[in-house]
Amino acid sequence: MTAAPQINPLRKYVREDRMPHFFCPGCGCGQVLSSFLRGVDALGLDIDKMTAVAGVGCTARIPVYIKMDTLHGVHGRTLAWATGIKLHSPDTKVVVFAGDGDAVSIGGNHFIHAARRNLDVLMIVVNNFNFAMTGGQVAPMTPPGSVTMTTPYGSGEPPFDLCALAVAAGATYVARTATSRIPQMDLAIEKGLKHSGFGVVEVLSQCPTHFGRYALGSASPAKLLDWIEGICVSRERANSMTSEQIEGKLLTGEFVHKSRPIFKGSTFIQESPSDKESAFIEGCPDKKGECRP
Amino acid sequence: MKPISIRFSGFGGQGIILSAVVLGDALVIHRGLYAAQTQSYGSEARGGQCQSELMVSEEPILTPIRASNDILVSMFQTSLDSYIGFLRRDGTLFVDSGLVADLSRVPPETTRHAVPATEIALALGNKMAANMVMLGYFAGVTKMLNLEQLDRALGENVRKEFLDLNKKAIRTGFDLSTGKNKEIAEEKAEEKAERKTEGRGR
Amino acid sequence: MGQEGAAKEKAAKENRVLTGVHFMQGNYAVVEGALAAGCNFFAGYPITPANEISEGMSKRLPAVGGVFLQGEDELCSINAVAGASLAGAKAMTATASAGYDYFQEGLEYGVAVEAPMVIVDVQRCRGENFATQADIMQVHWGPAGDHEMVVLAPSSVQELFDFTVRAFNLAEEYRTPVIVLSETTIALMRERLVIPEEDKIPVVNRRWTSKTPETYLPFEAEEWGVPDFAGLGRGYHTIYSINPHDEKGSIEWDPDVFQRLYTRIPAKISKHREKISTVQHYRMDDAKTALVAYGSEVRPCLDAMTMLREGGKKVGVLKLDVPWPFPEEAVSDLGKRMDLVVTVEMNTGKYAGEIERACSGRCRTGRVTKNRGLIHSPEEILEALECMGEVS
Repeated sequence: MTAAPQINPLRKYVREDRMPHFFCPGCGCGQVLSSFLRGVDALGLDIDKMTAVAGVGCTARIPVYIKMDTLHGVHGRTLAWATGIKLHSPDTKVVVFAGDGDAVSIGGNHFIHAARRNLDVLMIVVNNFNFAMTGGQVAPMTPPGSVTMTTPYGSGEPPFDLCALAVAAGATYVARTATSRIPQMDLAIEKGLKHSGFGVVEVLSQCPTHFGRYALGSASPAKLLDWIEGICVSRERANSMTSEQIEGKLLTGEFVHKSRPIFKGSTFIQESPSDKESAFIEGCPDKKGECRP
Repeated sequence: MKPISIRFSGFGGQGIILSAVVLGDALVIHRGLYAAQTQSYGSEARGGQCQSELMVSEEPILTPIRASNDILVSMFQTSLDSYIGFLRRDGTLFVDSGLVADLSRVPPETTRHAVPATEIALALGNKMAANMVMLGYFAGVTKMLNLEQLDRALGENVRKEFLDLNKKAIRTGFDLSTGKNKEIAEEKAEEKAERKTEGRGR
Repeated sequence: MGQEGAAKEKAAKENRVLTGVHFMQGNYAVVEGALAAGCNFFAGYPITPANEISEGMSKRLPAVGGVFLQGEDELCSINAVAGASLAGAKAMTATASAGYDYFQEGLEYGVAVEAPMVIVDVQRCRGENFATQADIMQVHWGPAGDHEMVVLAPSSVQELFDFTVRAFNLAEEYRTPVIVLSETTIALMRERLVIPEEDKIPVVNRRWTSKTPETYLPFEAEEWGVPDFAGLGRGYHTIYSINPHDEKGSIEWDPDVFQRLYTRIPAKISKHREKISTVQHYRMDDAKTALVAYGSEVRPCLDAMTMLREGGKKVGVLKLDVPWPFPEEAVSDLGKRMDLVVTVEMNTGKYAGEIERACSGRCRTGRVTKNRGLIHSPEEILEALECMGEVS
């Protein structure tokens, strides 16, 4: 007697009719998709009441495979859409899926302003170090010197530290993790899903088709995961390292996790004490009302 | 009544546009007429040339600007110089006599009213009310509106803390035009004003 | 709902429609029109001469339970409007010409996912706040891809109110972005405005689906029809993608799917053109010469018509309330009946080409155009007509 075939319990969230998916073999987007669904399942979130927002790029295709309301297809405007959705229906939980280019190249302005406002959305940024869907061009987080389709002599573009940018701009949950560290990625996404306010989870991910081949000389997903592991240093470990040792590495872990009033609109009639508080500038020395909005 | 075109002019900050708005508001809401108010001003927030045209008619107004104006109100010399050329030669001119000294370019057939609006406003405690002194005087001369209608329009367009001052300014200007408190107003303004103007009327 | 809540809701309702006679600036008339139509979301970025719309909205919307957002740029504004609309809001943004440039991708998205949106463009000369109608082509053809845009062109402060109400109604009925093409001339002008009683203002709401998520197809509609709406967060699992999609919303590359989509979406508007693109005839019964205009330029045309009529000339005016979709029937009818058709517009001559095409050589045509930051005077129109030769 053969045992009944095991079905991944997360399949109930997946649009079966959209399979097979369009990600390249070995791409990290599928890992992020699974990790997100594990988070939703673990927290018992009602996916019917959630909305995914995605722009353009490989990462932007993640929610297309989930049974979830989804906005898709305009490059860089994910957070602008999300702002409209959240302000009109604050009870809808919104998760943004963005690649590195979508998030902070074309969408950079929206990114810092969503962080400043503490817009109540979770943004999962899959950082595969290049513009992948368009064929492997240099992106804001491409390591210096990397050869890409538009930096054939090596990249002269200094990269962003996405997490530092998010923290500086005012995000209230910021973590960096990697597809090479599944348990940590699960934890970061789950915490991000639980968080109220602007959360950013940067997932370092492998792109075997483009970044791997052009910049790292390998299309092997395993080798690329090793490379990611090699550049990752946990925040805790970094404490005991010299600045020379940290040079060129990316810190992983949590950078901020705090609470701040969430954004309800540029101006609103203050009715409850919590509304009043949210109108004050953050970091105001006297929260009781010395400082005017 | 034939449609008439009134141009208010001066420099930014004098409340030129507000004059046109209050007048238009009162005519439309409290007299049931049609009015169209347009404006232009320099990009300076204060001090640039500023003008506003108000067309008034018993019928809906089509083209909202006219090549020539029937009435020109000038609260400053440079604005008179800029817009006197657009006033019908036999039109009517109102000037703030304290700030418009040179009327040499005004055609002889133009009806003139020299009003020491800024002087009176200063006497009332705030030179910012000069526009309303002029508007009160204007209403009294043209008989377009009575004081009650103007007061009601003021309430819609002026911040509460300035309402009393503006009402007083309008009343003072209005009474001056009808000779009611000529003595009081002229007493306060006479020295500078009379020296600088060619007098009221033709 | 508690007693307090009920009182609050009643106050918000009464506050929404300012019934009565007003002497109001055009930009504020847009605000009041939007509120009367049920607008509950506004996003805008500062730009002159459209600022009064944002300022008015920031004050009025929160008081009636709506949301005001000052976006970090126009890209945020237009896309926040799209997002709010898909969440169920009646959403609007406003800008002036230079800001309108940034709206194209948001409009393209709105067209593709069939999101009701209202957009106000207060046309201005490049970088300066002088009057122009130079955006008449951009408001139709700006976004990439096949589409049919609905553009209303008000001529007065009253029409800025009325047409803003209508823009919301058309946006909801046809699930599409609708543009209110304003101009410096009327936007900054104050005029008599009569706001009717609330129950006299027709308000249209989008058709929400009555189907269950299991049977609902988000982009299924009759041949030239409009799909029923489900919105976000209600368990309908809809993908609103700009990419070619089938009735299920699935991204599909099939040429048949592609053709179906890009036939129905423009056709749901163009096939209802006669209903949407209303025109007004002024003394056209016996006219042999027609002045054709939209927006503020209708006003000097009517003055010029009166002056010419006094001189015994048989002149009429065709006012185009809705320049897009192009009122093909009304204009081609002129070609059959008129000796001379003259387009009057405040730009270097753009829409005139469409008028001339629709008249297709069956009558003489002419153009009165200028771009000097000022509306035409009736005298200028008269002079131009004299140069065109005999006017009967």
